[in-house]
Amino acid sequence: MILLLALILPVVGAGLLLLFSNPRAATRAALALGSVEIAVISALIRQVHLSGAVEVGRYLRADGLSAFFLVGMAFVFALVLLYSSGYLRHPGEGRFSSPRWFYALCFLFLFTMISVCVSANLGLLWIMMEGTTLASALLVGFYNTEGAVEAGWKYLIVCTVGIAFALFGTIVLYLAGVKAGMSPAAALDWLALNTAAPHLGLDIHLVKLAFVFILVGYGTKIGFVPMHSWLPDAHAEAPTPISALLSAVLLNCAVYAVIRFDAIVSGAVGPGFPHSLLLLFGVMSLVVAGLLILVQRNLKRLMAYSSIEHMGIIAIGLGLGGPLGLFGALLHTFNHSVAKSLLFFGAGNVRHNLSTLRMEAIRGISRSLPQTSAALVVGGLAIVGLPPFSLFISEFAILSQAFGDGRYFVAILFLVILSVVFGGFAHHLLGMLCGEPDRRSEASRLIPSEYTAMGIAAVCLVWFGARIPATFGDLLRDAMAVLR
Amino acid sequence: MGLVGIATGKVLSSFSVFLFLTILLLAVARRISTSVLLFSLQSAVITAEVLATAIQEKLAEAWVVGLLVFAIKVVAIPRAFFVLARRLKTVRDVKASTTPTQSVFIVAVMIYLSYAGVHSYGQAVHVPDDALAAAVALILTGAFLMVSRTKAIMQMLGLLVLENGIFLAALITTFGMPLVIEIGIFFDILMGLLLMGIFSFRISDTFDHLDVSKLRRLRG
Repeated sequence: MILLLALILPVVGAGLLLLFSNPRAATRAALALGSVEIAVISALIRQVHLSGAVEVGRYLRADGLSAFFLVGMAFVFALVLLYSSGYLRHPGEGRFSSPRWFYALCFLFLFTMISVCVSANLGLLWIMMEGTTLASALLVGFYNTEGAVEAGWKYLIVCTVGIAFALFGTIVLYLAGVKAGMSPAAALDWLALNTAAPHLGLDIHLVKLAFVFILVGYGTKIGFVPMHSWLPDAHAEAPTPISALLSAVLLNCAVYAVIRFDAIVSGAVGPGFPHSLLLLFGVMSLVVAGLLILVQRNLKRLMAYSSIEHMGIIAIGLGLGGPLGLFGALLHTFNHSVAKSLLFFGAGNVRHNLSTLRMEAIRGISRSLPQTSAALVVGGLAIVGLPPFSLFISEFAILSQAFGDGRYFVAILFLVILSVVFGGFAHHLLGMLCGEPDRRSEASRLIPSEYTAMGIAAVCLVWFGARIPATFGDLLRDAMAVLR
Repeated sequence: MGLVGIATGKVLSSFSVFLFLTILLLAVARRISTSVLLFSLQSAVITAEVLATAIQEKLAEAWVVGLLVFAIKVVAIPRAFFVLARRLKTVRDVKASTTPTQSVFIVAVMIYLSYAGVHSYGQAVHVPDDALAAAVALILTGAFLMVSRTKAIMQMLGLLVLENGIFLAALITTFGMPLVIEIGIFFDILMGLLLMGIFSFRISDTFDHLDVSKLRRLRG
């Protein structure tokens, strides 16, 4: 019941939000709806944790892994909603560029992302994954500027084509299931497929073919190099809260889909094949994005490339497998979400106050925007994986797995690229923090909702770095137990 | 057996040829309206294939899917395209980056590659090579149309051809996915096209043209 409620609430809410023509009222309604929705999701997570997988009919199921991804989703969504309530003071021009459209589309976007995590059927998972593209495309093009329209078009086309390949992969896997004697309804159910996985091995070529298409398809959504071309544009041109949602929640949803398929395919043909493909994409994304970070000029594009880099790290963790690799990869999805939201919030404030994101034009913000600079520094130190912050733990776990398995090439490459990224971030951030502010910024005051959102994210990064809270650790263990 | 049985058999044995014909013609089509008609024709061939499968395999669900394909891909989408093209006052030419001769050559090579590629799988899944090759050729041609035609409308059309190929692959190998899922996929396609329509209006508003190859501001 609670599972259905979590899905119905955002859809109905999105419809209701459109009735509020007054921006203030729309914001308040969105905040209220958001708090209820987050309470419902938390109740769902609690129920999964206490009494195991929750099912509704044949098409919806939430287990430990779903619950773990829902935690990150609910947390980031709460931060984004809080931040947006202040950020939307200056909405753009255009037909859909009013706060009520913004919030309505946000909740639809949330609906599709929750659905991805609770689909029991791989066909439904595909439908909802395509739904995430559709729901967020208008949000990416929200400002209706030349750049936003271009980014929105590119996002729509590249992701739709990419996802079409995932559909093909899903069909091939379905075919392998039907051929292995499963009923048509069961051959798309991931639980049934997981159980029947050893028998799918009869059609080893079909299963492998399926995984290649799935990885290319959903990999487009994750932003793996070389399918990443939509990602920097969409992240840079979207309104800042949406950049945070894309980077911190949407990419994780696609990772979730890949993990589900990886579990089935590993059961059918052994972990060797899917894991080496994941490692390949992971290393490519890490290296290419890591190097491109050095030459970025736009603050939000810098963050976007950093997201690709971190998706590469997650893929490497999944590709290495093993308890530490998996632990690191799952924990990293959450840690990256928090750090990236904080950084995007900071970037959003810079854009508001200086009306530019070109990093060479941004000087001396440590004096003109002290709180925002603090957020950027904390976020920056966290994102490059320095010790007091939580990303260090997940990256260290993945690295230990690599050394433990004797994968020295991957491990050393990983370390080299992380050092390069550290240099890149230090160079870009120091350039912006130091120097004389170019002009007096008029509206450098942060409003409470903005610094609360940034504060919570920063505290979370330090807290999870010092010690992973027991409840969160339990949820993480539940998620890993599902994949055993 | 009767007349229906004979017709069914003929459709199943000949639809691949008609599909190859539509993609070769799409390669030479110079006008947007011709391309849209060809897409409509291609979808009609696929509808016939769905209905033939429905009769032969006695699948009630396939009738619904067949009617959906007919209503959406043969009638609704082509009409929407014509309206879109008229409202956007776009030039009729498809603005191809390859000459028609080159395009036909490329598509012919793709058909050949499709045959070569599916050869080992055809026997494994008990499907005639022709049918499987037709599905793969549609996917490849759809992708080719998307990269070689610079009009936003033609990219949408390329995507639809690609999707037709995936649909066909699902149909011939597994007699289609469960009905609920098929309907969901159709819904996604419709919403996707609607959004692309909105964006093509925005592109023409913001840039005064529909040529997506000129969208080059965001790089690096």
